[in-house]
Formats: sequence, structure tokens, C-alpha cells
Amino acid sequence: MTTVTARPPAQMATRRKRTSSGGGIGRYILIRFTLIFPTIFILVSMVFWLMRATGDPITAALGGRLGPEQLAERIHAAGYDRPILVQYFEYLGNVFTGNFGTTISTNKPVTEVLLTYGVATAELVFYSLIVAFIVGIPLGLVAAYWRDKAPDAFLRIFAILCYATPVFFSALLFKLVFSVWLKVLPVAGRASTGSELQMQFLPGKTGIYTIDALQTGNPQVLLDVVSHAVLPALALGLLTAGVFLRLVRTNVIGTLGADYVDSGRSRGVSEYRLVTKHAYRPALIPIITVIGLQIALLLSGAVLTETVFEWKGLGFELAQFLTARDFVAVQGIVALLAVIVALSNFVVDIIAALIDPRVRY
Amino acid sequence: MTATSITTGSRKRSLWNHLPVVHQLRQSVGLQRGMLVTGLVITGIFVLTAILAPLVSPFGYSQLRDANGAFGAQKPPGGAHLLGTTVGGYDVLSRVIWGAQTALIVIIIAVILSIFAGVMLGLVSGYFGGWLDRVFVVVFDAVYAFPSLLLAIVMSIVISGGRSNLVGGVLAAAISITTVFIPQYFRVIRAETVRIKAEAYVESARVLGASNARIMFRHVLRNATRTLPLIFTLNASEAILTLAGLGFLGFGIEPSAAAEWGYDLNKAVSDVSSGIWWTALFPGVAIVLAVLGMTLVGESLNDLADPRLRGRRSVAKASGLVSETSVVPGGTLKDEFEVPL
Amino acid sequence: MAFSSTPRARGLSAAAVVAVAALAMTGCSAGGTSGGTTGGAITIGTTDKITTLDPAGSYDNGSFAVQNQVFPFLMNTPYGSPDVQPDIATKAEFTAPTEYTVTLKKGLKFANGHDLTSSDVKFSFDRQLKIADSNGPSSLLYNLDSTEAKDPTTVVFHLKAADDQIFPQILTSPAGPIVDEESFSATAITPDNDIVKAKAFAGQYVLTSYDFNNLLSYKANKDYQGLLGAAKTDVVNVKYYSDSSNLKLDVQEGNIDVAFRSLSATDIDNLRGNKKVKVVDGPGGEIRYIVFNFDAQPYGAKTPEADPAKALAVRVAVADVVDRAEIAKQVYKGTYTPLYSYVPDGLTGATESLKGLYGDGSGKPDVAKAKASLAAAGVTTPITLNLQYNTDHYGPGSSDEYALIKDQLDKSGLFTVNLQSTEYVQYVKDRTADVYPVYQLGWFPDYSDADNYLTPFFLTENFIKNHYSDPAVNDLILKQAVTVDPTARTALIKEIQDKVAAQLPTVPLLQGAQVAVTGTNVTGTQTTLDASFKFRYAALAKG
Repeated sequence: MTTVTARPPAQMATRRKRTSSGGGIGRYILIRFTLIFPTIFILVSMVFWLMRATGDPITAALGGRLGPEQLAERIHAAGYDRPILVQYFEYLGNVFTGNFGTTISTNKPVTEVLLTYGVATAELVFYSLIVAFIVGIPLGLVAAYWRDKAPDAFLRIFAILCYATPVFFSALLFKLVFSVWLKVLPVAGRASTGSELQMQFLPGKTGIYTIDALQTGNPQVLLDVVSHAVLPALALGLLTAGVFLRLVRTNVIGTLGADYVDSGRSRGVSEYRLVTKHAYRPALIPIITVIGLQIALLLSGAVLTETVFEWKGLGFELAQFLTARDFVAVQGIVALLAVIVALSNFVVDIIAALIDPRVRY
Repeated sequence: MTATSITTGSRKRSLWNHLPVVHQLRQSVGLQRGMLVTGLVITGIFVLTAILAPLVSPFGYSQLRDANGAFGAQKPPGGAHLLGTTVGGYDVLSRVIWGAQTALIVIIIAVILSIFAGVMLGLVSGYFGGWLDRVFVVVFDAVYAFPSLLLAIVMSIVISGGRSNLVGGVLAAAISITTVFIPQYFRVIRAETVRIKAEAYVESARVLGASNARIMFRHVLRNATRTLPLIFTLNASEAILTLAGLGFLGFGIEPSAAAEWGYDLNKAVSDVSSGIWWTALFPGVAIVLAVLGMTLVGESLNDLADPRLRGRRSVAKASGLVSETSVVPGGTLKDEFEVPL
Repeated sequence: MAFSSTPRARGLSAAAVVAVAALAMTGCSAGGTSGGTTGGAITIGTTDKITTLDPAGSYDNGSFAVQNQVFPFLMNTPYGSPDVQPDIATKAEFTAPTEYTVTLKKGLKFANGHDLTSSDVKFSFDRQLKIADSNGPSSLLYNLDSTEAKDPTTVVFHLKAADDQIFPQILTSPAGPIVDEESFSATAITPDNDIVKAKAFAGQYVLTSYDFNNLLSYKANKDYQGLLGAAKTDVVNVKYYSDSSNLKLDVQEGNIDVAFRSLSATDIDNLRGNKKVKVVDGPGGEIRYIVFNFDAQPYGAKTPEADPAKALAVRVAVADVVDRAEIAKQVYKGTYTPLYSYVPDGLTGATESLKGLYGDGSGKPDVAKAKASLAAAGVTTPITLNLQYNTDHYGPGSSDEYALIKDQLDKSGLFTVNLQSTEYVQYVKDRTADVYPVYQLGWFPDYSDADNYLTPFFLTENFIKNHYSDPAVNDLILKQAVTVDPTARTALIKEIQDKVAAQLPTVPLLQGAQVAVTGTNVTGTQTTLDASFKFRYAALAKG
């Protein structure tokens, strides 16, 4: 077998371990860390070239008002007609020095955009993960316990339905049932106008609504904020819950077949106890790793969830900036996403390596 | 476990039994078989609906009126329009049926393109190795790490130049989905190639003086593609979701060019707030069913390929597909993942 | 995300504290408006989008809607009329053919206490021209040569062309807001938060808090002494939505008091039957039309079978066959009305030139007539028509609208329509590159004058670039722009419409109505839904 020196990030975690001695954990972390940079570089470059191919922001904003000559004049003034390589190196230089620029369509510093909307997305993702954990893990254990029985069949179909249902469809259904018909939950947004007004004037405003709501000291506001988060978190969380359910089931079944569990079984340990005590813990390890891998999926899902529920986060803004052909903003957001994805893959790989030394090589 | 050789499993079987899905169907038992059969039936209905759309659909996908005049917008289900009409005045049932056809075309083009590109790249990369291999691996891993829907959106704008006629729209959707899939096929095929390359029979072929091309296509490719049916079903279901996502965000195919479920759902958003449920429910259910069918097939294949999951106490008898396939990073199971024990 | 969020969020909150401190301070100084939506305060919901608060950096409806509340104009349109009058000025007139002199009211102040003098006015227009931002409206000031501050209350605009009757209108347009020279940058776009922090406002309202494209809070400006009078409601909050269906549900449930721009046709139709809300309609300035490219259309100048007479017959046949009423009813449910001329109904000088000329004479389609005129011109039917439309710029109804137009044209048997759509950025490039023979466009006016519906379209050098050129029309358009006598000018505008209607470079289809949905206890909506097309929060009151 050929010796593989550089293993790509996500692949490493998912790849079956190779038998190879390799250096110590320190060396591994170092190699693994240096791999973050090509990943970010490739993503950032890719987005640069793709965005330039989609057209310019000036035409997108003013094509309905100005004639072609005026548009060309403005494009020239903004420097978008310069040789693309020149623009590319200028952009790389800026990224290298940490200068993400100012959005073209709204004249805001990109870092401000990332901060403002990043927290909103983080809050949504956090809530969804809670839903995913609460729903996915216990049900996965149940399915593994009653393996190949009716509950298992039912739960597996449920898991598949969870990820077979597009986020925007489940979102629409939730909205129809809970907001339009039953009128028990708010339609969209992160808080009602009244609550937002109260939070607006907080001296220590974080942008994380749950925390801001706590700061107001008004339980009404907190209730309002939480009730706004229920449907989006359900829509996005169930998607991940399906994945978790399936994963827990598969891995618990896997560990139930392992030698030490078999020996436990032979010693007369009950199947219930085997599932909850012996097989459960090792089966959770992959879940930790999967959260890292789920981030790309969660961010895709966040674009759709945020759009349906007007959760003004990064995904929602990204869709808006794409339509406006605001390359500066899109590049900034994607660069941030690339960093998050690359870093989380890195962390996941390191955790995997710490847990299981055989992953390193 | 990884090294279990497939070529040694030399029991004589008929060609029929060798066909991917049929083989697994025979292999399966109990609940597993039930799931596989259910998935196959749903998928079959989906494919049949797609092919027979012109025959079974009461109206055309862009038809607004018949002999009795215009259909009218947002008519509730009943009468001539079994599932009602949309905000644009189309027949919901017809749009749902024709939508199956669009979805199927997109799936076929997307999967064929990505198999072709991904397999070739993976094969070459894995077989020759070296710096090209490393560059490919890093690049495709970066692409793979990227949120797929966003990639698809940008690609669809670039590819179609924003035009959304039938060919342009379908191709844009298919190609942008392909871009997302290539890294997945690449990874699987490359891994298999690297593994098979080290097998004894490849070595012996080389010793016998076979050319690289011959070895790659005769020996490596033939064995490396065993896992494809599995990835195929998983990616097909993701293709539907991506297509619908594109349509829902307004980057899809226009109604006069073809029927597309995601687009119809997008149009139904404002209907929902007025309590008009039928324009959203039916295209949505169509998506769910199509994806459900294919995922059931895919998951069953996946489980059958994984000795630990195939059936209790049958691990010892593991043969056929190697468990490497269960780490397929494809489809909705990209996160499927083994215990690192 | 669980890994990265915690440390990131922590660093973030620290940064956010700094960032919002300014915001919070303005909020506090405004005197605790944090009482929620109760107590007479009005909450408005909209799907508008702001790009920048600085008038030099934005040229779109969403930003202009905000600027209209907080910045003063020299000229403005009073409630209920499309005709301009001095706003924060006492007098505005031509003192020489190329000199337009405006006299400001005395003692004007910005909300931050700075004096508003002719120097601020000069500053405002100079910076528009100087910055000439790529997203800004500086192109509207095409006729402005220089601005002179003669004395603290007198401003003289030196114009390039003489007797420009449009210039007073330009002063009401997105290029016209007056800004504070002590708070704005003379050479660059001033960041939104800086403007809010500096309280550089002198319109009917002052922004007290500014959560960009999410929630804006306004407080009435006691110092405003202009044409429009004091605001009826002290505190107005504006909530920004991206999805009209969410806006609709919130107004229906009473979570907001007013929903303005843009509810979908389905939503409005649904709300008309709802007793808890009022649907208020007003004239709209938006028009939707089909453009014929004179080079590329069937029998166009650059086609193999070029023939002007046959080309005209094709256009006439389209105008005969389209059923505007059906589109307005089925697709837009009455939120758009049929448009039979180039200048929309409600503006001074509007006619219904196309109504008598095409169709059955009452606005209905007439296929037989179309067939006859095509036969008379020797055109063989069916004519293949490649019709293009855009999906993402002219509202979600576009695809349904054009599907129905295709259906109408096909049904007549005279046309075979190939319908195609293109995403906006590409669409803009393609349409001026003669790629589209026949295509959709829409227009929203910069100012409420008939000129804004004629000059951009039918001059020889025009915005739509469809190779239409008629020397007589060209001269008439230039003439109306410098005709001082209003009656004579209106007559010219009518004549232009009649002449253009006979040539059909474009076929006008629909005119958008302005529709606001309010709670039953909200008054004043009708007052501001006028032909100025400016939605003024100051007219609204609750209770």
C-alpha cells in the first residue's frame, strides 16, 4: 500500500484507520493544522472566480434605471473592469492582511456584517443542535434496543422522513399548522417588535437574543424570544436529528457486537444495561465528530431555514448578497464559512486522533 | 476486514443475481427486506410517473386553460382539478406529475455527469498517485467541505447565465448538482483504486506487461465501481433536494419551461399565510416521497453492505461488498461514520 | 458549531458592546421609547430594503422611503397632489433661463441644533456630484452645473440647459435630500450609524434607533417647518420583513399597525375580506410594459426580412390581443390596473391613448382586428415571437404574468410564443445587446412628473435602447421640458403620448396601485397614498 502523507481533513476522520506508526500527536496536529490553509485558500479563490463570473453589483443594483453607457462608466469608476488577475491578487492581499473590505450594496464593513449576522446564525444552530440531541440520541438508543422490531422500523422511517423532508417544506408545514391554523407560535423573525424595542436600548447588547432577553429582566421578552426560536429550531434541528438517530442506532448496534460487550452479555448483563451503559458511551464518540461534519450541512440548511423564518442570520444575508452580486460581502461570508468548516474539521480530527491513536499516521 | 477480497467469492451465480439491487434483495431478510421493497416500490412509482407523465397527467405543466376556459387561480381541490390550482392558475396535480419528470431528468444527467467526471478523476488520481493526487485530494476536499446548496446556487448562476429555459434550466441544475457530487465520487473511487492497486492480481497483471490504461480500466475500474449503485441512490435523493432547494430560493426552472416542485413550493409560500394549503402540500409531499423512496433503497443497500448491520450474528458470513462502502460520504449519509474503535 | 460558537460569541459580545453603545446612547437620549408598541406609537411593516441612509449612496425605493421621513427637501409634493411646491423654502423660481433660485425659510435647524442654511444645500448637491457613487443618484443631476450659496437663505442653481421645467421635480427626487454639512463627509459615503449618532436630520422625523434592515425607530421632529406640517404620531417603529407572507400574517394578527409595500396579490385579496384590517388603495407610479426591439423583433431592421410596415403590424397585433384586465385580475387580483398609455393615471397629462387605438376600443382584446391588420400588412401567421421576461426584479408575479400573456397570444392563433426568462444581471446586459426581440420591463419613477415616463424611453438617445427614433417625438419631448406654461406643457405631453401610441415602441400593460393594509383604528393612510408616491409616516395616526 502506498504511503499516504497528506490526508485531507474530513476524509481523515471518516477514513478507516490505516496501520502506520507515524509521529507523535504533536507532529500530527502540526501537519493537520497546516492543511487548514490550502482548504481556506481554495474556497476563497473558488468563490472569487465564481462570483466574478456571475456579473457585477452595479448592474444588479441600477440596471433598471441607467442605460448601458452609464452603467459601463460606473463599472469603470469602481474598477470592476480591470484585468481580473489584478483584482484577484489585490483581493488575496486584502484577505491576507485581514481586510475584508466594505460591502458594495450596503456600504457596511464586512466584519460588522459577519459579527451582526454570525451571532444570529450561531444562536439558531445552537438551538437546532439542542433539538437534534434531544430527539436524535434517545430515539437512536431506543431503535438500537428494539433492533429489527416494530419500534426500530418506525424510528428508522421517522429518521429518513426527517432528512427526506426539505427544510423549507417542513418549515412551511409548521407555519401553516402552528402559526396560521392554531395561532400558537409566531410566524417569523427572532422576536416581536415590542421585545426588540426593549432589547434595543440595552447597554450590553450582545445580538444573541436569548442573552439580551435575559438582560431585560422581563420574562415576557424571554418567552417571546424563545417562542420565536421554536419553529426554526425544529425545522433545522429535525434534519440533524434524523442523522443523529441513524448514527446512534448504527453505532450502538456496532458496539453491541464488539468483543467486550459480548463478554458482558455472556456474563449475564441485561440487554438494557448493555445499551445504556456499555454501548452508549463509545457510540457517542462519532457523534462528536459528526457535529463537525454536520456544519456544512447545517449551514446549507440554515440558508433555507433563515429564509423561510426571516431569521436574519448569515445564510439569509448570503442569499440577499448573492442576488445583489455583492462580491465583497459574499467573499467575506464565504471566507468566514471556510474558516469555520476548516477549523471544525481540524478540531474533529484532533479529537478523533486523541481518542483513537490509530487514526494518526 | 477491509482486505476481504471480492474476487475470491467465486460461487457461480446467474447474471440476474449479480445485478446490484437484485443481489441485495435476495440477500435481505425481514425488516430490511421490507424497507428495501418499500423503497423500490416508491422509487418505481416515481420513475413510472416521470416516464408516463404525458399520459397520466390531466393537463400540461404550463397549461392555463382548456376547452372550458381559463382554470382560474387558487381553486381548491375538487372537480376538474383534483388537487386544485396554483396562484399562477396551473393545475396542481399536473405540475406534481410533470415535476417527477423534471426531477428524474435532472437526477439522471447529474448522476451520469458526476459519475463520469468523478470516476475518471478518482481513478487517475488514485492510480497514479503523486503530487497530482495530492492536489486533487486537497481541492476536492475543500469543495466537499463547502455548503453544497450555496455552491449549487453560485454554479447555477454561472452556468445558465441566469437563463431558465428547459434545456438551460435543467442543465444548470444538473451541472451545479454535479459540481457538488464530483468530490464524493472522487473520494470513493480514489480510495477503492488505491486499495485495489495494491491487490495481488493487479500486481501480476503489471508483471505480465499490461499497459497502465488496460490495468486501470480492465482491473481497477471494474472492481472499484461496485460501490456505485449505493452512492447512486443516495446522491439521487440529494439531487432532488438540491434541485428543490434551488427552485425554492428562486434559482431554478421557470413554470413555462418545466414543472419543478421547489419552484411550486416557493410560489406557495404566500398561499400558506392565507390558509391555502393545497399548493404547498402536494409538491412538498412529492419531494418527500421521492426522496424517501430512494433513501430507503440506499440505506438498505448500505446496511446490507455493512456486515455489522446486515443481520444479527451474520457478521462471520460477511462476504460480497466490503464494509469500506459504509463510510461512503455520499448523500444524506455523508455523516455516516464508523466507530473509531 | 458547538466548538466554535462559545469563544467566538464571547469575543463577539465584547465587540458588539462597543458597536451598539453609540446606538444605545442615541436611544436613551431620545427619551425611553422602549415602551413597546402601545401608547399611540405606530408600528409599520415593510418588505423594503435599505441600502444606505446617505442619499449620495443609494438610488432605490427602500432607502428613499427612509430618507423621505428624515431629510428635508427644497421642493416637495403636498399631500394629495403630484405637483411640486417649496418645502423648506419660501420661494423657488427661475431668475434667469439657467438660474433657478430657491429662498430658504429663516431659522431652519437640524435636529442636532446645527443651522440649516444655503451652505448645507450647496454642500448636499456638491457632494452628490463629487462622490458620484456607483450606487448613487448623481445621474439625476445631469442638468446641474453648479450650486451657489448667495446668502444664508438664498441658493442659486446654475443649470446647463435653460428653462428646465424638470429641475424642480429633480429637487424632490432621490438626488434632492438636504444633509448636514457638519455631520456628513464631503467626499465619501457617510456610514449609517454615524448619521444616526449625529442626529443629522431635519425632515418630519428623526431616527432614534437604527437596527439596519430590521427595526427602525422614529420620533417626530419638532423643528420641521416645511410644507408637510407636523407629524401626527410621535413615535413610529418600522419593522423590515423579507417575506411578504410574514408581513401579511403580522398585520392580520395585529402585531403591526400598518403593512406597506409589498404584499402579494394573494395576501391582499385575502385581507380584503378580513374585518380586522382595512385595505387602502392609492394610485401607483409603477408601470409594467413590453418592449419591442426595433432591430431584432419580427421584421425588424436587422432581420433578413426587414420591413417597417410589417414590424408595426406585429406590434399592433400584440396590442390588439393582450387582455390587460385578465392579467390584472387573475395574476394581480386588482393590485395592478390596466394601463392604456405611457403616462400612468393620476399624473398631470395622463391620457388613455391606446384604449381607442387597439383592441375593441373599450380596452378589451380584439383578435379579429389583429388578424385583419396583419393580413393587410401581408404578414403570414402564426408569427414566432421570442418573448423574454425576468423573474427576480419585477416582483414574483412576473412569471405568472408572462405565462398568461403567452397563453393569450398563443390562443389567438396569430402567434407562436417562445417564452424564456433570464436572471436580472444577465437580463440587463442582454437586452441592450439586442439579444431579446421582445421583452418585459418595468419602471418606478424618480419623481412624479409625466416627463419621467417619456424622456427616458422615447428620446432618440434613450434608456431602453430599442432603436426607436422619431425626430418629431424627440423634439416634442425636448420642447415640453422647457415649456413654462403648465397648460401648454400638458397639451404637449398628451400629444407625445398619442404619437408614441401610434408607433408602439413599447406596449404598456399595467400600472401598479399602492396598497397599504392597516388596523381598523389607523387613520391617514389615504392621505399619503397619493401620486407623489412617497409614503409619509407623518400622516398616520392611531386611535
